[in-house]
Amino acid sequence: MIAIDAYAYNNKLKSVHPAEKSLFAMLTMGMCLTSSTMLTPFIVLVLMAGGIVFKAGIPTRVLIRLLAIPMSFLLISVLTIAISVSTDSSGFWLAQTVKGFTIGIHYPDLLTAANLFLRSLGAVSCLYFLALTTPITELIAVLHTLKVPFIITELMVLIYRFIFVFLETATMIRRAQYSRSGYVSLKSSFRSMSRLFSALLGKVFVKYQDLYNTMAARGYNGEIRVLSQKRPISLRNYFFIAGIEIPLIILNLLWR
Amino acid sequence: MSELILEAVNLEYSYPDGTSALRKVNLQVQKGERLAILGSNGAGKSTLFMHFNGIYRPNSGFIKYQGQDISYKKQDLIELRKKVGIVFQDPDSQLFSASVWQDISFGPLNLGLSEEVVIERVKQAMLDTETTDLEDKPTHLLSYGQKKRVSIAGVLAMEPEVIIFDEPTAGMDPRHSHEFMQILEKLSLEGKTIILSTHDVDLAYSWSDRLAIMYRGEIIAHGLPGELLTRPEIVKRADLTIPWLIETHTELVKKGWLPSSAPLPKTKTDLFQNIPAKSGQQSA
Ligand SMILES: Nc1ncnc2c1ncn2[C@@H]1O[C@H](COP(=O)(O)OP(=O)(O)OP(=O)(O)O)[C@@H](O)[C@H]1O
Ligand SMILES: [Mg+2]
Repeated sequence: MIAIDAYAYNNKLKSVHPAEKSLFAMLTMGMCLTSSTMLTPFIVLVLMAGGIVFKAGIPTRVLIRLLAIPMSFLLISVLTIAISVSTDSSGFWLAQTVKGFTIGIHYPDLLTAANLFLRSLGAVSCLYFLALTTPITELIAVLHTLKVPFIITELMVLIYRFIFVFLETATMIRRAQYSRSGYVSLKSSFRSMSRLFSALLGKVFVKYQDLYNTMAARGYNGEIRVLSQKRPISLRNYFFIAGIEIPLIILNLLWR
Repeated sequence: MSELILEAVNLEYSYPDGTSALRKVNLQVQKGERLAILGSNGAGKSTLFMHFNGIYRPNSGFIKYQGQDISYKKQDLIELRKKVGIVFQDPDSQLFSASVWQDISFGPLNLGLSEEVVIERVKQAMLDTETTDLEDKPTHLLSYGQKKRVSIAGVLAMEPEVIIFDEPTAGMDPRHSHEFMQILEKLSLEGKTIILSTHDVDLAYSWSDRLAIMYRGEIIAHGLPGELLTRPEIVKRADLTIPWLIETHTELVKKGWLPSSAPLPKTKTDLFQNIPAKSGQQSA
């Protein structure tokens, strides 16, 4: 989460208009999810991985680590779809029979599973592309222009900030505890941990109060308004997006 | 010149937990002056500042802005805060947006200025505080001194009449605190009123026109820096120290290197100028 955030502010696609990146990611994700061929998700995955690594300049190992996160959930669900157990051993593509029970894989199931796997991974890669190249603040600005209600975007701003306040405070308290020999034994670990939580609660409450005060001091009147950095709008990028999406649409239509 | 701009009259304030943080505080701030507030930890400086733009409401007593009691109606408070800006002590509580640029734009946008003017002001404030190369950085990745400068920029961009700095140079490296003093110089020349709290007696002595010393929620002395800081009983009572310029000067006078009529030096340069060259070297 923190790594993603750091890359979002520091990648080669940072200065591309957030609306363009969002459009690209969302459309491609749509293509990926609506396709009935395995080819589309595969292309999408390659495209996004290429974009993340070569265009945005994010290290391959970071991408692999990130893709590994959903992998475990995915594998479990995919395996349950692909593998079936039955008393009837006919129709299996690959099977093992033990005491009258047959455990194995039906070929169509395997296809469904592989399709599902690729589709999910493709969709996740689209989201990663967006998350790794676009800071949350700019995404919020895009939501803003899409007329998403103020209350939602403002909450996003504050929650986002407070995640870091929380984390920072927690890290600091933990460090202080370690340096005074907290967590040395199981018992002390429990005690340190519970102290950490109660201190965290108190501190975050005070910080929240301070934040409100400081915002009021700068003329807060119930609506957080900030200027986003203007990003150049690039016609070329829109052509690029069209150039990618149209073939994908055609591919999806042909393979129905 | 001696037009009052801000005034605290018999201010009393206790925090909800019962800490009595201000006791009968009276303070007058003149338009265009540089006022330093000295006081040890917990003296009540930050608490007093919170009253100056209506964030805290006194239990008794009142605050006057340009001769008028300030009103705590929402709209009036917004007006007041356009004129009295505070740079808070803890930059972390002031920075709420993710990016530096956005955070600085928050205040000026609240003033209802047009987008072009806001962009102009944000840029200027970033130039003044040397934060231009941080503009895209998320605020949570800045160092403490950088955060401090960004929070200063956020208030400068609003161009208030009175600017209050709560311990502005704490945590800044020597170069940036020197540059910060130059920003203050510039603001003074523009006619802004500046109030600054600090623990740094040397800074307070050299910079300020007038000085107030706080101790345990009271202002125990106020007046000219040269008069207050030469009085050991006050300095001691407030847990402060005598500025090194004054100490050196007194020592030089005591040992006969300077005539007792020599003026108190306000800066290092003044002191060095006061010291005469040795007669043997004078001709050389
Ligand atoms: N939110 C709070 N709740 C309760 N008491 C508080 C609160 N904030 C400050 N105090 C108390 O009020 C008194 C004055 O605090 P204040 O922050 O104004 O001091 P200060 O002069 O700014 O000190 P420092 O130099 O350390 O910043 C202190 O005794 C402090 O413990
Ligand atoms: Mg303080």
